[in-house]
Amino acid sequence: MSYPAALHAEWIKIRSLRSLVGALLAVPLATAGLSLLICGTLGRPTPGSTDFDPVLFSYYGLNFGQLAAIVFGVIAMGGEYKNAGIRISLAAVPNRTLFYAAKLATLGGCVFAVGLVASLISFLGGQALMDQGFGVGISDPGALRAVVGCGCYLALISLLAAGVAAVLRSVTGALSVLVPLFLILPFVVGDMSQGGGAADFLPDRAGQQILLQHPAGALGPWSGTAVLVAWTALAVGAGWWALWRRDA
Amino acid sequence: MDGHAWGMTRIDVQDLRKEYGSTRAVDRLTFAVEPGRVTGFLGPNGAGKSTTLRILLGLDRPTSGTALIGGRRYADLAEPLREVGALLDAQAAHGSRTARAHLRALAASNRIPVRRVDEVLEQAGLAAVAGRRIRTFSLGMRQRLGMAAALLGDPAVVVLDEPSNGLDPEGIVWTRELMRSLAREGRTVLVSSHLMHETASFADHLVVLGRGRLLADTAMRDFIDSRIKPRVRLRTTEGGRLRSLLLGKGLDPVQREDGCWTVEGARVEDIGAIAAREGIPVLELAQEEATLEQAYLDLTTDEAEYASAAPTSNQEA
Repeated sequence: MSYPAALHAEWIKIRSLRSLVGALLAVPLATAGLSLLICGTLGRPTPGSTDFDPVLFSYYGLNFGQLAAIVFGVIAMGGEYKNAGIRISLAAVPNRTLFYAAKLATLGGCVFAVGLVASLISFLGGQALMDQGFGVGISDPGALRAVVGCGCYLALISLLAAGVAAVLRSVTGALSVLVPLFLILPFVVGDMSQGGGAADFLPDRAGQQILLQHPAGALGPWSGTAVLVAWTALAVGAGWWALWRRDA
Repeated sequence: MDGHAWGMTRIDVQDLRKEYGSTRAVDRLTFAVEPGRVTGFLGPNGAGKSTTLRILLGLDRPTSGTALIGGRRYADLAEPLREVGALLDAQAAHGSRTARAHLRALAASNRIPVRRVDEVLEQAGLAAVAGRRIRTFSLGMRQRLGMAAALLGDPAVVVLDEPSNGLDPEGIVWTRELMRSLAREGRTVLVSSHLMHETASFADHLVVLGRGRLLADTAMRDFIDSRIKPRVRLRTTEGGRLRSLLLGKGLDPVQREDGCWTVEGARVEDIGAIAAREGIPVLELAQEEATLEQAYLDLTTDEAEYASAAPTSNQEA
């Protein structure tokens, strides 16, 4: 059983499902589209705001693009479990670790690729559209880090989502965990602990530190990414264990 | 068997057990499936057939025991689709993919040439609908797609779980002929079914399960003959004379209401010879062949009696 063959199969599987192609294309469309829209229309920080970060400002659309990345990861993994389709996949690739690794590498690679494109367009376009004196260049501090970081961030959360889907073996089950985790929990926890604290360690808050030119709070760009990596490793590890352990 | 390139790939199930909690789905099951013939895997729903097949394909873990293909576990096969083709559940293929994309992904995972995809689609009669999404397929078309997937890697072993499910009469004949020809080519063919009449039309050998245990592992003809005595039906103008002759041979002819005689445990060759020797005119003489269904029901009736007599610790899964 060879890894390139398993990768090839996973690539065909992604390519041949409209829902997956759609979710994948929604990542750059939402991220770059909404980022450019906000940069072009607002163009400058709202008067009186103290925490304006010019780099982060051009990633406004990421809030929506990340949902597409989550949905993509969930469908790519969770879709296998529909009608026990996983049996067909595992009969073809009985080495479950190999199967899982190939699927994660393929979906993560796809999201990283489109995420990087989305990130470049968001940053370069967004900064160009911002009002004179507010935009920054790619060579400014933290800018290149953010451009690459955005691609990594999207790839990591799609992997996290896929891991959760492998644990719960269901698309709807995974979404019912992930949507609150990314859409609701940050606000609930953030309100409870004013000025950072626990909310900083949630996957999205921690992971997005890398998009800031001047990160503040408990985590920096790299430590924040490390926290997201830890969350992802936890979900991916649990998904592997569930796949390896259980009857298909 | 002709010496085809596949060699002799046996399926060996040895002392296999599978428990789900306190439920025993498969109970110390041992049997072998030989190449060159179609082995029917029989049993009522819940007898453990599908569980056994899933364990064989490395999908479920046995509680104990082994299920080997050519001496190896399925999970240890390098490119399993090239060695074992399986149809487990025709509904499992993702409905949003086209038939061709579904097979192409399978082929890619085992480095099977892409041309095989079109070959098996053609063979299964799906070439015209290869570009359609699987969700638009009827159950019969999905079964054909499942068969196409099983044949993709030109495997020496073919395992089919209820392949006739949902097939139209033409599809059933096609499936039967396919299984027969796969066996003729020297492949090992294991086909589960709960339909007796259907199984009788293609199987050479039977493995019969009941509540997870092996009830029979025998050639189909022997299975029927051992359980159901052959019977001869005859009409004659000299019933009384023939009767006393046959009674002398240890046979017991019984006259039915319509005037026919039936002789249990006899064969036409014997009775025809006796009648000819004695100059008894025979107007009709026919062997009444027992069916697989009769034999199977006879077996399961025995089992039911055994089960009701014994403590009911074994439940169906």
